[in-house]
Amino acid sequence: MLAALLKGLWTTLRSMFEPPVTYQYPEVKRPVRDRYKGRHYLQRYDNGLEKCIGCSLCAVACPADAIFVESSENTDENRYSPGERYASTYEINMLRCIFCGYCEDACPTEAIVLGHNYELSFTNRRDAIYTKDMLINPVSIAGQPTPMKVEAGQFDRAIPEMEDPK
Amino acid sequence: MSSSQVKLMIDGNTLEAPRGMLLVDAALRAGIDVPVFCYHPKMEPVGMCRMCLVEIGRPSRDRQSGEFLLDENDQPIINFGPNLETACTTRIDEGWVVYINSERALEGQKQIVEFLLTSHPLDCPVCDKGGECPLQDLTMLHGPGISRFSFHDKMNSLKRVALGELIILDRERCIQCARCIRFQEEIVDDPVIEFSNRGRSLEIVTFSEPGFDSYFSGNTTDICPVGALTTSDFRFGSRPWELNAAASICPHCPVGCNIILNTRREVKMGGSEIVKRVLPRQNEMINEIWICDKGRFAYSYAMDSERLSQPMIRVGGELEETSWDNALKVAAEGLKQSGANLLGLAGGRASNEDLYNFKQLIQGLDGVSMLNDFMAGGKQNQQIGLGPGSNLGDLGVGDAIVVIASDLLEEAPIWWLRVKQAAERGAKLIVANARFTKLEKYSAHTVRYSFGDAPETVLGMLHYVTGDSSLNKYAKVDGQEESARIIKEATNAVLFMGSEGSDSESSKRLVQACGSLLAATEHIGKANNGLIPVWLKNNTQGAWDMGLTPPEKHLAEEFRDRTALYLMACDPFGDNPEMLQELPQDAFVIVQELFHTPSVDRADVVFPAQSFIERDGTLTSGERVVQLFYPAVSPHGESLPDWKILARIGALLGVAMESTSAAGVMNRIAEDIEDYGEIHYRELMNREDQWPPVGGKQIYFGGTAYENSQGIGIRLSSRAQRGEAYEPVWKESPKKPKGEGIRIVPIVKLYDQGTTVLPSLLLAQRIGQPELVIGQEDADRLLLQNGAQVEVQWNGTAHQFPVAIDNDIPEGIVLLPRNRQLGLEMPMACNLTPVKPTSKEKGE
Amino acid sequence: MLQDNHATEIAQILERYPQASKRAAVMPLLFLAQREVGFISRDAINEIAGLLDLDPTDVGSLIGYYTLFYDKPGGKYRIQICTDLPCALRGAEKFSHEVCEMLNIQVGETTEDGFFTLEEVMCLAACDRAPLFQVQGKGGIQYHENMTLESTTAFIESIREQDANE
Repeated sequence: MLAALLKGLWTTLRSMFEPPVTYQYPEVKRPVRDRYKGRHYLQRYDNGLEKCIGCSLCAVACPADAIFVESSENTDENRYSPGERYASTYEINMLRCIFCGYCEDACPTEAIVLGHNYELSFTNRRDAIYTKDMLINPVSIAGQPTPMKVEAGQFDRAIPEMEDPK
Repeated sequence: MSSSQVKLMIDGNTLEAPRGMLLVDAALRAGIDVPVFCYHPKMEPVGMCRMCLVEIGRPSRDRQSGEFLLDENDQPIINFGPNLETACTTRIDEGWVVYINSERALEGQKQIVEFLLTSHPLDCPVCDKGGECPLQDLTMLHGPGISRFSFHDKMNSLKRVALGELIILDRERCIQCARCIRFQEEIVDDPVIEFSNRGRSLEIVTFSEPGFDSYFSGNTTDICPVGALTTSDFRFGSRPWELNAAASICPHCPVGCNIILNTRREVKMGGSEIVKRVLPRQNEMINEIWICDKGRFAYSYAMDSERLSQPMIRVGGELEETSWDNALKVAAEGLKQSGANLLGLAGGRASNEDLYNFKQLIQGLDGVSMLNDFMAGGKQNQQIGLGPGSNLGDLGVGDAIVVIASDLLEEAPIWWLRVKQAAERGAKLIVANARFTKLEKYSAHTVRYSFGDAPETVLGMLHYVTGDSSLNKYAKVDGQEESARIIKEATNAVLFMGSEGSDSESSKRLVQACGSLLAATEHIGKANNGLIPVWLKNNTQGAWDMGLTPPEKHLAEEFRDRTALYLMACDPFGDNPEMLQELPQDAFVIVQELFHTPSVDRADVVFPAQSFIERDGTLTSGERVVQLFYPAVSPHGESLPDWKILARIGALLGVAMESTSAAGVMNRIAEDIEDYGEIHYRELMNREDQWPPVGGKQIYFGGTAYENSQGIGIRLSSRAQRGEAYEPVWKESPKKPKGEGIRIVPIVKLYDQGTTVLPSLLLAQRIGQPELVIGQEDADRLLLQNGAQVEVQWNGTAHQFPVAIDNDIPEGIVLLPRNRQLGLEMPMACNLTPVKPTSKEKGE
Repeated sequence: MLQDNHATEIAQILERYPQASKRAAVMPLLFLAQREVGFISRDAINEIAGLLDLDPTDVGSLIGYYTLFYDKPGGKYRIQICTDLPCALRGAEKFSHEVCEMLNIQVGETTEDGFFTLEEVMCLAACDRAPLFQVQGKGGIQYHENMTLESTTAFIESIREQDANE
């Protein structure tokens, strides 16, 4: 009996000198894998135009029905994205989202990307709905904010020829 | 096997079909799909897109005897041609062997898709057609996956060409199938779009003013097999798969077109449902797969923010919003106190359920109930209307159609379309009117009478049918004799009777004369024979059937001495502001309305009613087809359906009425009204297979019109059909007062300034300013030029309009489109004074 | 208005065709309209449509179908260079570029003085004498064959001179 007790204490003693396996969250954050799927970000091109064209394919691909998109028509005075259509409303209900990444797969313009942020907390259900303002990336230094006023006929093609941010 | 049937084999299945049927139709009837783009079952084939390539083998025949040559196994020798052929232009014959899904045929189809895609943009994610696109579907089925053509050789054309403000063209997406052009030319005869240029730069153009000037333009977007033509109301509004579909009935005219309301929730609308677009719902007996642009674009009124959302009562001279309980209490109290001489006035746009409960309530309170209209004919329609088995689409060679006193294109466009098509199939069309209407182009005979002489004209025809010499005096207009002969000799005859140029008295005489003519020529009591009144409102016939009829006297006289007035779905004070003086100052007024109309301003209690998109109910069309419409969106504010409001007041006043559901009210109607004995909601949901197949899987064949799975309605039988005798009566015309001066005649324009059209921002540009149409003689006498302002006085009020000179208008007559606020329901005497330009304008 | 200036000619044209198929008169009437101002204006389309009871769209679409009808004003003279395959093999494309440079315009454009419009057209049926062009303008249609830049320059100068003298 004593032997068993000593054995147990020995284990305890030994582990005191081993390095810890836990992280001191939130001071220290555990790194995630490259392909980790956290909260979503809506991307922009270098010049500031939004990549999202409001096609709703993410919404229809979503198995949890968490995404809601409303689209509108771009004009040269108020241009949000290249081509004719942009998302005037883009909402993701983070309580519903299961972070499967199907939206990312469905997106024809690589506009929606699941990032590494997993720190999603809300104090009520309404706050769990992330709107377009919350989801969209800030404009890079080279770009302009949307909506922008552009020259007529500059972005009239469905498939844009534009640089991605490096 | 009759000689008109042939036997052929398609993909190994033996089938029988009528000789000369197009191969594509024969295959589809046997359940074998042939991919098509340019072919449409409602139009002549052109074979432009080559998508329907198939292998066709024809049996060899002996040149002398014409018998099939047989091989050693006694089987006919089948010869396959060297090339694939188009199934849409080939008419079938005996003994053919056809391969639609053989390797060779599929290879051909695959190459056509590859070719069509050489310059088609990769727009699917942004395209409004994406998800219900024949090109997308057939590319998935038959497309090659990889193109041998260079992406950089794609043509880049204009992405946004507004053909008009309603229809927008994307030139890149067009695959040049010409469906839209053929629809405009063949089906509606408005060739306002055409191809320009040649070869790869072929493109659709319009030169009309305004662009794409046709009442049927929206239909081209339904049959467009790609996203080249889109409607501007739906442009980038939603993806098709996100939409809910509620079956409904168009509320704009008495045709009763079957429609679908596509709805979805919107953040912009605070998360509530909104109608995104209106599409036709197939009903081959009513509207086939078409609807007019008014039905397609004038729906926004139902979602207008100006709609009444709360009950209101008058407190100290002002209308104040209040609760339903309070408003109902005030209304019930008011009716109790001052209901001694109650008048109920209902409009023809309310549903049958509303009108029935309205009649019950007013009757229960010992009041008088009436329909706010003047045109007669509801009773005759019950007696000698079209009846079960009728279909305007069946009329053709040997039949006659008479259209009298109506501009069908403006009043009921789909009837116009079907009458025109019947005439093109060989039916003899007689158009009788006091002026030129577009329908005359297709008529076998036109009868032109003077304004107001419609009853006499029909009596003149009756003279030639019966030989009644007392009617001799009416036979004085060209074409009466010939028309009478056509009607008499016709196998079937349908008579459309309108109200143009009629007042309440002459409308009565006109319908009696029409009834007598139909009876004398024995065109009553059979399917495809009888009368169709062209009502001004969609459910006027329903109102007649529910027992509401127009006032006997002028409405002004009916208003005098009333202690209380109950208005439902009508606006007599808006139609004619003069009526305010006729109603006693202390009369208690209750109004059930959608909008804050002038009648609401006079009301003591106002109840917000629901529009057709928020509720269910039934409507009875001019052809007496009872049809069901379903709720599509949640109610606006606290509004309630009209029948329910009436039932709740009834409950407070001890008038027992059905208050649970519209279907329940219909059950009461069925018990109470003989003609509706068989009508229950369950029966109204009947469906049957229709040709051509549309929507869903067959979207590439018939277009995006919806298949009808929610009910094609029930056609009421006429009394004559049930064996009841019809007593033809007609009255002698009263001596016409030899009036000096000019008569003003109200006419109907499709895009009017009514409450249900004005809120449509899209159509606003087509409505325009009303013009006073005047004849050349009068214009010369008054020294008027086109566009000059003129002051018109009638009934003691003066209005100003620009004039439009029309050579066709006789002296002494001016025409004005029907409108609110004019007080011009029937023709009346008027005074014209040219407005002198002010000195300032002159100086400029 | 055509009717104001050419009433008799229009009546003559209409007379040639039976009343039932008077739409056949559309081609001669379009020629008449083009002869007047060098192109067919929107007003002329509407007027011809009115004369023949056609929809303006029916008339307008013909102008696109036939390459010799113009819907936009051009220069006084239209220089039309054939650049079909045989001519191209004999240097017509290069020739066309040179003429463009010389006149300081692009294909399809009109010179600043409004004299010349340069167009590239399909076969002119004189392949063996390429590079060649036809000139449409005052004095009908003329062929100029086996052209070089020098001979073209001389021709253009002569036209300008001629016009200045008039």
